[in-house]
Amino acid sequence: MKESRLMLIQYGTAVAAVALVSVHLIMQGVIYPYSTAISFNNMLSIYQNGFYAIFLEALLVVVLVHGFNGVRIILHELRQSPPWTMWVDAGTVVAIVASVAYGTRTIILAIFGGVAG
Amino acid sequence: MALGEEKAKNRRGIRGWLNPYHYNAERWAYMFQRVSGVAILLYVLGHLGDTSFFVGGPTGTGPSASSWKFIGSIFENSFGHLILILVTLILFFHGTNGIRLILTELGLIFKKPSAIEYPYRAKSLSSGQRYLIVVAIVVAALSALWAFLVLFEGMG
Repeated sequence: MKESRLMLIQYGTAVAAVALVSVHLIMQGVIYPYSTAISFNNMLSIYQNGFYAIFLEALLVVVLVHGFNGVRIILHELRQSPPWTMWVDAGTVVAIVASVAYGTRTIILAIFGGVAG
Repeated sequence: MALGEEKAKNRRGIRGWLNPYHYNAERWAYMFQRVSGVAILLYVLGHLGDTSFFVGGPTGTGPSASSWKFIGSIFENSFGHLILILVTLILFFHGTNGIRLILTELGLIFKKPSAIEYPYRAKSLSSGQRYLIVVAIVVAALSALWAFLVLFEGMG
């Protein structure tokens, strides 16, 4: 992908992250008191609300793409050579896929997994 | 200047970010944007790890109240809350300063470049950029205060 397009993705995910993180923080500290927001029963009802589960997945993807792409940009600024470019780009893709997969696993298990005591 | 010296000067890496010699406000904001971005990413990765304990951690199979209580016993204390307040502070600075950078990139708060004259200040830097850096600092401070009030609610 062209670097100019990757920068557009960086700016697009930045704006999306500001909006999604704001909603996330409002859910955690404004709509409910913090102690209620992080209680097990409240978290369970939030995860099992389909709309909020989709919201959390979007937040996960947007923040991780923005974060790892940002690190990629920093690494390309610090050093430039064809092998470095290839390894940094490949490492960024692996890091995004692995971390999004781990976060998605949490959301899926929270929705479909059996509740334990 | 020899080619090797010139190359070394242009390749100061992270030491180049952290060396404040000849820095202006925009350069400080640039450096802090990078440092705060990396710090936020590290926090997000940690947050992915701690929220996974809602479903029993890396080997869990579904929502587990005991696992969630266990992770809460580690992080839900005054020290953990101070870390969250610090994260809120840098998160809001990063977000607000990031909006400034996007507006600059789009050319909305960027003056037209012109001939270099004494005292050699960058003419492309508008006062709007400086105001937005101040706004970012104020927003970050207010958000940290808000986080303090939310997190320490009922702890006394």
